[in-house]
Amino acid sequence: MKQKRKSSGGFRSLLYSQKVAPYVFVAPFVIAFLLFYLYPIISSVIMSFQEVLPGQVRFIGLSNYKNLFRGDFVKAVRNSVIYTVITCAVLVPVPILLAVFLNSKQTVGKNTFRVIFFLPALVSVVVGGFTFRLIFGEMPTALLNSVIGVFGAKPVKWLGGPAPWTTFFALLVLCCWRWTGVNIMYYLSGLQNISEELYDSASIDGAGAWQRFFYITLPLLKPTTTYVLTISIYGGMAMFLESRMLFNGGRYPGGQGLTIVGYLYRLGWEQNRIGLGCAVGLFLLAVTLAVNLVQLRVSGFFERR
Amino acid sequence: MSEKKRSRLTAGTFMIMLVLIVLAVLILLPFYSIVLASLRPGTEIMRQGIGLRIDPSIMSLGNYRYVFTDERYFTWFFNSILITAIQTALTLAVSAFVGYGFAMYEFRFKNLLFICVLFIMMVPLEIIMLPLYQLIVRLKLINSIWGVILPSIASPLPIFFFRQYLSGIPKDFLDAARIDGCNEYSIFFRIIVPLMKPSFAAMGIFVGMNSWNNYLWPLIVLRENRKLTLPVGLGSLLTPYGNNYDLLIAGSVFSIIPIVILFLFFQRSFIAGMTAGGIKE
Amino acid sequence: MKHVKVGKLLAMLLAMCMIFSLAVYAEGSGDAGEATEITFWTFQELHVEYYEKMAEKWNEANPDKQIVLKPTVYPFEDMHSNLLIALQSGTGAPDLVDIEVGKYANFLKGDIQLLPLNDIVEPELDNIVKARVDIYSKDGNYYGICFHVGAAVIYYNTELCELAGVDYNEIKTWDDYYEAAKALKEADPDKYWESVEATDIWHMWPLLAELGGDMTNAEGAVTIDTPEMAKVLEFNRKLVDEGLAVVAPGGYHHAEEFYALMGGGNIASIVMPLWYLDRFTNYMPDLAGKIAIAPLPVWEEGEPRSIGQGGTGTSITNQAKNPELVKEFLSYAKLSQDAGIEIWNTLGFDTIRTDVWAMEDVTHADNKFTEYYVNNPFDILLEIKDEIVAHNNGENLPQALDLMKNEVLNRAYTEPDVDIPAMLAEVQSSVIE
Repeated sequence: MKQKRKSSGGFRSLLYSQKVAPYVFVAPFVIAFLLFYLYPIISSVIMSFQEVLPGQVRFIGLSNYKNLFRGDFVKAVRNSVIYTVITCAVLVPVPILLAVFLNSKQTVGKNTFRVIFFLPALVSVVVGGFTFRLIFGEMPTALLNSVIGVFGAKPVKWLGGPAPWTTFFALLVLCCWRWTGVNIMYYLSGLQNISEELYDSASIDGAGAWQRFFYITLPLLKPTTTYVLTISIYGGMAMFLESRMLFNGGRYPGGQGLTIVGYLYRLGWEQNRIGLGCAVGLFLLAVTLAVNLVQLRVSGFFERR
Repeated sequence: MSEKKRSRLTAGTFMIMLVLIVLAVLILLPFYSIVLASLRPGTEIMRQGIGLRIDPSIMSLGNYRYVFTDERYFTWFFNSILITAIQTALTLAVSAFVGYGFAMYEFRFKNLLFICVLFIMMVPLEIIMLPLYQLIVRLKLINSIWGVILPSIASPLPIFFFRQYLSGIPKDFLDAARIDGCNEYSIFFRIIVPLMKPSFAAMGIFVGMNSWNNYLWPLIVLRENRKLTLPVGLGSLLTPYGNNYDLLIAGSVFSIIPIVILFLFFQRSFIAGMTAGGIKE
Repeated sequence: MKHVKVGKLLAMLLAMCMIFSLAVYAEGSGDAGEATEITFWTFQELHVEYYEKMAEKWNEANPDKQIVLKPTVYPFEDMHSNLLIALQSGTGAPDLVDIEVGKYANFLKGDIQLLPLNDIVEPELDNIVKARVDIYSKDGNYYGICFHVGAAVIYYNTELCELAGVDYNEIKTWDDYYEAAKALKEADPDKYWESVEATDIWHMWPLLAELGGDMTNAEGAVTIDTPEMAKVLEFNRKLVDEGLAVVAPGGYHHAEEFYALMGGGNIASIVMPLWYLDRFTNYMPDLAGKIAIAPLPVWEEGEPRSIGQGGTGTSITNQAKNPELVKEFLSYAKLSQDAGIEIWNTLGFDTIRTDVWAMEDVTHADNKFTEYYVNNPFDILLEIKDEIVAHNNGENLPQALDLMKNEVLNRAYTEPDVDIPAMLAEVQSSVIE
């Protein structure tokens, strides 16, 4: 090994130096970033100041941004924010608990449960959304209504009904169904990094199961939690296909189920106002990035180790 | 004393098992009902929606016969498998490489670059669709699987995940390897990659699942019926003004089966990797 | 050990996939021969079947101009956005494409990327319903050709009409209609006289058109806030409030829940276009022999009793490689008498070829439609043929439709104590110019 390094030229030794190596490691990302993200994003920033029509692209100043708050924009933002908050509130604590259960030695049939919980993640949104639309159907014979009917409850119009919570409930159920298993996987993977000895010595010191959970497991799972929270915030704010499937290809009664990306898609692509769609998308980008940066700063992510 | 502790433990275990079983049943319920629906004629969806009742008099494998004789379906199926396999392998390799760079080194612009990772994670495809399409056309990747795969090869989520995962490895570990004469890259390939196996398992499922379910981008890049992927193909059976229920539901159910088999096949290795691996000091 | 095995297995799988893919893609390239390829996009697989049939007939009749149709079916919304991207970029669009009428205005903005079809449309204007090419035109150029007239009619469940003691042929005005509804309510309070759509516009549009109203004006601006609109919505709301009409379960007349309620024989009538014929036969088989088709009631005697609704304009993009040949084929496949007959036979649509309507051997031949319905759709079509109005298809129609489907109708039918004119004014003020 050493021999080789000595015999190679200046470029090679530079490439292998500890100073240059990190740049080599991140180079694939930088290239992909510049090509597939930065260039298109700059284009869409430019388009957000334009009216984009075939052969007739022209600058229209800030009009797109002035039009931003008309129409259903506020509703869409509100829906996306509520959805993000409730999904984060469920999809962080529940998977931690389940992962701990599934990691425990006493649990029987761990593998079976892991597989079952993960199964929904393998189902595409198209298929899952279609299934849940039928489950949440408003007829008394639809799955959920027939179940609550057993307990004597009246059939509920779940999707776009008079009370907004039913829509969010349906979206939350679909989201939890699909993602709980994935988050459990992350936490299981994180749990493997916690050494057994820590628990053993804590037990010897007389710590109970809950104490061990709160003082050892939770803090040591923090990097995983930061990760899960970041992607959940992003996933929540950018949710679109799920609601589009639940609402028959984008019929949102009274704006229920309309998300920011759904609104962007409606304006940009269904009404051919690509510039306006870009303005909405850039707003979304700015908000999610800000929220996530605050979240990461609070969790101490950027501190040097 | 020890008797008492043991009985309390079993009570706790019992509760845990109960919770797990109830959740498992709830999670399996939609699968059950859609499989049931796939065994009935499409018009039954209209008569009674999807439910839990088994009614053998109207059940048959007719829809599946329809799926198996529809040649489009297997073309889509194969395309999806191909794209998923290539995309998963490449994305894992590239992202682990990049994630390691972020986790193990201090360098100028590191935080800025990492903010870029977070940034692209939040870019909705819907706004960069048009310029990205034009780029793919210029790169002559339109209507090719590489046009689907390449743009997400340095995927932010796996990079972020690997970076988080590798943060647990103490840096003295690397110094020790350097003293042993390893260069920066052989440290990664020979020492770190084997340590990363559990995370490869977790991310492999994640990337594979995303790729298998990817909808919008393949739809834009792929321009021929025989190149479409399964979600796009199934989506085309859903129209706002009349669905092809027979093919749709049976096709949906069947689309789950192979990926589940693949998952079951590999999950022993995943779990084994997860429990055996882990980074210990 | 185990891990090594898994790694190898993955690698092998990948290698196999790649080799296989090379084989598959190589195989697809050299089969064109002398026939000209025509790429075609649609969002409806039934249209593919139709065009393939027509291509076959074309090839039989034109041995010197063989064609091979290369169809791709995309999901509905995404096909249209995909087409926008391709046309905006100037590359990647198909030769021939189906564009839904509600989206058509999007493709008439800017420099139009579709080819004018005047030289094939104009010679046939006497034989077709002109309104059905007008909706795809701009500045005197025709860009698309429709499959059907989409004439709005009313479908009655004859069994429920009998139950109410009503002769549906005697229902001439909406007042008569309202009285009939009350009669049904008395006969059986669990049944509904009609269903109204809260997330789609097929039901309310003809009622509006009878009054001369529309959702966009001739200049293309959104006109939701009009007295005509208020009158229609208030009438529908009254029926809903009195329990005579049900808001379509699932929101519109294409939802599974609606098919269930309607198919279960709980609704006595619905207002829908003639292309709804095959929804009954496909999704509500239990109603066979019970459904009659009739012209719409009117507000005042003398109003036009129908409107052409919906539709799919088949167009040729300016990226077509052999525009002249594609045009010739399109003319045959969409405008000829053969096409008119085939459209009825395979798709069950009210073709735009008026001469076909009177061909009794075609229109009254046994097929699943003539067997299902009490009367023949073409008899009704002939009765109302001079009363079928067209709607405006201005630049802002997609926006107007979005507002109606997502906001206006839902609020008009379900919001408690809604003040409909005030609500319309509010929605109108949210329009983005």
